[in-house]
Amino acid sequence: MDPQSTIILGKAIGAGLAMIGAAGGGIGIGLAVGGAVQAMGRNPDHTPTIQTNMILGVAFAEAVAIYALVVSLIILFVLS
Amino acid sequence: MNSFWNGKRRFVALLMFLAGVFVALEVPPVIPFIQLPGEKFPEGFDIPLTGIRWTNTMVGSVIVWVVLLLFVVYVARRRPKDGNEVPPGGFYYLFEVLFEGLMGFVGGIAGGRHFRVIFNMFMTIFLVVLMANWMELVPGVDTIGFIHPHVKEKYDAQKDEYKLVTTDGYEIYQGFLGISYVNGQCDWISPAAEAAADEAAIVAASAAAAAAERTLTQDAAYARYQAEHKGHGDDATGEGGGGHGDDAHGEEPLESNTVSLASAEVLAARVAEKQARLDRGCHTGVATAPWQDGYEPYDKSKAKGISLHPDPSSEEAKLVPWVVLPFVRVPSTDLNMTLTIALISFVMIQYIGFKALGIGYLTKFFNFGTLFKSPLGGIDVAVGLLELIGDFAKILSFSFRLLGNIFAGSILLFVMSFLIPILPWPFFILEFFVGVIQALVFALLTAIFMNLATISHHHDDDHDHDEAH
Amino acid sequence: MDGVLDTLGINPGLMLIWGIAFIVLYTVLTRFIYDPLTNVLNERRNRIAKGLEDAAAAARARENAEAEAENILAQARGEAQKVIDEARGRGEDVAGTIEGEARQEAARIQYDAQNEAVAIRNTELGNLRDQVLNISVAVASRILEENISKTKQKALVNSFITDLPEGAKGIGGGVEVVSAMPLTAVEQKRITSEVGADEAEFSVDPSILGGLIVRWAGGMVDGSVRSQLNELTRSLN
Repeated sequence: MDPQSTIILGKAIGAGLAMIGAAGGGIGIGLAVGGAVQAMGRNPDHTPTIQTNMILGVAFAEAVAIYALVVSLIILFVLS
Repeated sequence: MNSFWNGKRRFVALLMFLAGVFVALEVPPVIPFIQLPGEKFPEGFDIPLTGIRWTNTMVGSVIVWVVLLLFVVYVARRRPKDGNEVPPGGFYYLFEVLFEGLMGFVGGIAGGRHFRVIFNMFMTIFLVVLMANWMELVPGVDTIGFIHPHVKEKYDAQKDEYKLVTTDGYEIYQGFLGISYVNGQCDWISPAAEAAADEAAIVAASAAAAAAERTLTQDAAYARYQAEHKGHGDDATGEGGGGHGDDAHGEEPLESNTVSLASAEVLAARVAEKQARLDRGCHTGVATAPWQDGYEPYDKSKAKGISLHPDPSSEEAKLVPWVVLPFVRVPSTDLNMTLTIALISFVMIQYIGFKALGIGYLTKFFNFGTLFKSPLGGIDVAVGLLELIGDFAKILSFSFRLLGNIFAGSILLFVMSFLIPILPWPFFILEFFVGVIQALVFALLTAIFMNLATISHHHDDDHDHDEAH
Repeated sequence: MDGVLDTLGINPGLMLIWGIAFIVLYTVLTRFIYDPLTNVLNERRNRIAKGLEDAAAAARARENAEAEAENILAQARGEAQKVIDEARGRGEDVAGTIEGEARQEAARIQYDAQNEAVAIRNTELGNLRDQVLNISVAVASRILEENISKTKQKALVNSFITDLPEGAKGIGGGVEVVSAMPLTAVEQKRITSEVGADEAEFSVDPSILGGLIVRWAGGMVDGSVRSQLNELTRSLN
């Protein structure tokens, strides 16, 4: 195998592994939204407050997935 | 809605569908070359007053700005001048409903003293990002563009010179209306790679011949005798449709019928492979094989002469891979836009924090006040510093959230258009909503963080804040 | 670092352009859309609120008017009720009187009719009874006349003599004795002695059917079958 192919192979594997981190973000968002929906179902009067806090929490959870994305993008496009 | 599609309008949908079929058949779909930075335009296309080359994401950005400015003109002319006037209806209604709804929405989140600033910021970010996101739904974005040779200049530090590097791409051809297209069916194969493949075929053929020779037993002599009597005729038929590869190449010493058949099979497979490419309409890599007539050996000096931008109609065009360089790309897939808006959002968060709390805003980050008073003072300091880091991390998460979602979205769209050229509609609907959601999330998070910045940590200030409501 | 920025496509110049564009857009949007539109919307909201308030005031006024109307209506309804009640009371009185009179009249008529009917019945019954009595007495007399033989007569006379009532004993003076059949001398003697009369005059009257009748100046004892029949007739009446 020539060196160029090896580099591409390594990049692809690395980027794929890095994106495993997105699973954590997905789980977090799922938990946050699930809890928020339950809370909204129990007392719909507080929906605006719950929604705002839910979006905040989702944003923080998503940030983790975004770090994984950044790492993956750097591996794919920046490393050479 | 139902009545809208009654009658003649139904034919519009049918015509669009048929046009899709025609275009998919006439112009084979191409997966554009995927790269993160905005593709630079060819030389000579500079942004006025700056020395910066246009990128297709910047073209998209300009379109977004122009559309928004036209939108401002439209709304400013259509809007009612005072509260007694009845709104004129039409598209303006839609905007007013959106505007009023979002006003109530933001009012529920940040309806304090600074509501106007927060809402203006929210709405501007929302509109800009929404316009940018929805650009990926416009036909022609990401697909129509320069036909661009995918050749890079690479600096070789060892030899201290620039050399041209060709990478992946497609073949170019002149098609419908004489327009140049890249052919999605034909990956470009470099002449060097082609020559190498031919050589590999010859090596494989001689290996097969050697193997066949080893299996020859006593009847080898008889076979040789027969071969001498029958001459070269069998050799030609053994190559099956290929040219009369006889005397030019002496590496096949026709020792026996079996041996020549074994090697000829390998070579014939190679020729059939080339023929299949030719039948698909591909041109590169289909030069005749070394054992065929009209073979031109690969000239390395010729490769050195490739210019960065050969004429698409010239013969030279076949020597390089081509890709489509779209005129317009969605600006949200460019870090320049997302990072800028994230920075502006960050600056506005800090600005409104200082505006609301004065210099006391800094105690949010550098909280040394309780260090010697409370046993938990050290923790407060650490929390403050974490907030500082978190605020800077917001820039990163803001910009990469938008970039990641829309970049993945546009890749999804053109990959799906490539796989199912006629019916990628469901994905367009999906991306329509993703665009709205991402714009809303970006704007909403800015509004929330701005509101949080106006709220002090201290309880006495909390009281003040409550009064503001 | 430069390489990283380049490969990520970050170009400070382009970012600057974007920043300027964003600020321009922010200003233009705020100046020409957000501020005026917010004012218009607020104005409209106030106007709608005011309209709602006016409507509420009008609604209140209408409610008052309605209440007043309700009062007037209630009053009118009460008066009407009173009138109706009065009328009904008067009507009931009249009706009661008429009814009472009618009832009295009816009762009277009924009573009269009943009386009349009873009288008629009594008369009829009396007539009927007289007829029956006459018939029965006639029948009885016929039967008795034919059946009271001499021996029977003698038995009757004997029983009269033995069962002579106290008033007829020791009378003295003249006595009239009536019998259905002629008495024998013995019988005449016995009767005279039993009665204690000084003188006795004997007569025969077949119409008394049987027995004896003793008459004197102070009274009479009737032991005839005829008188017994008459008594029977009277008791039937």
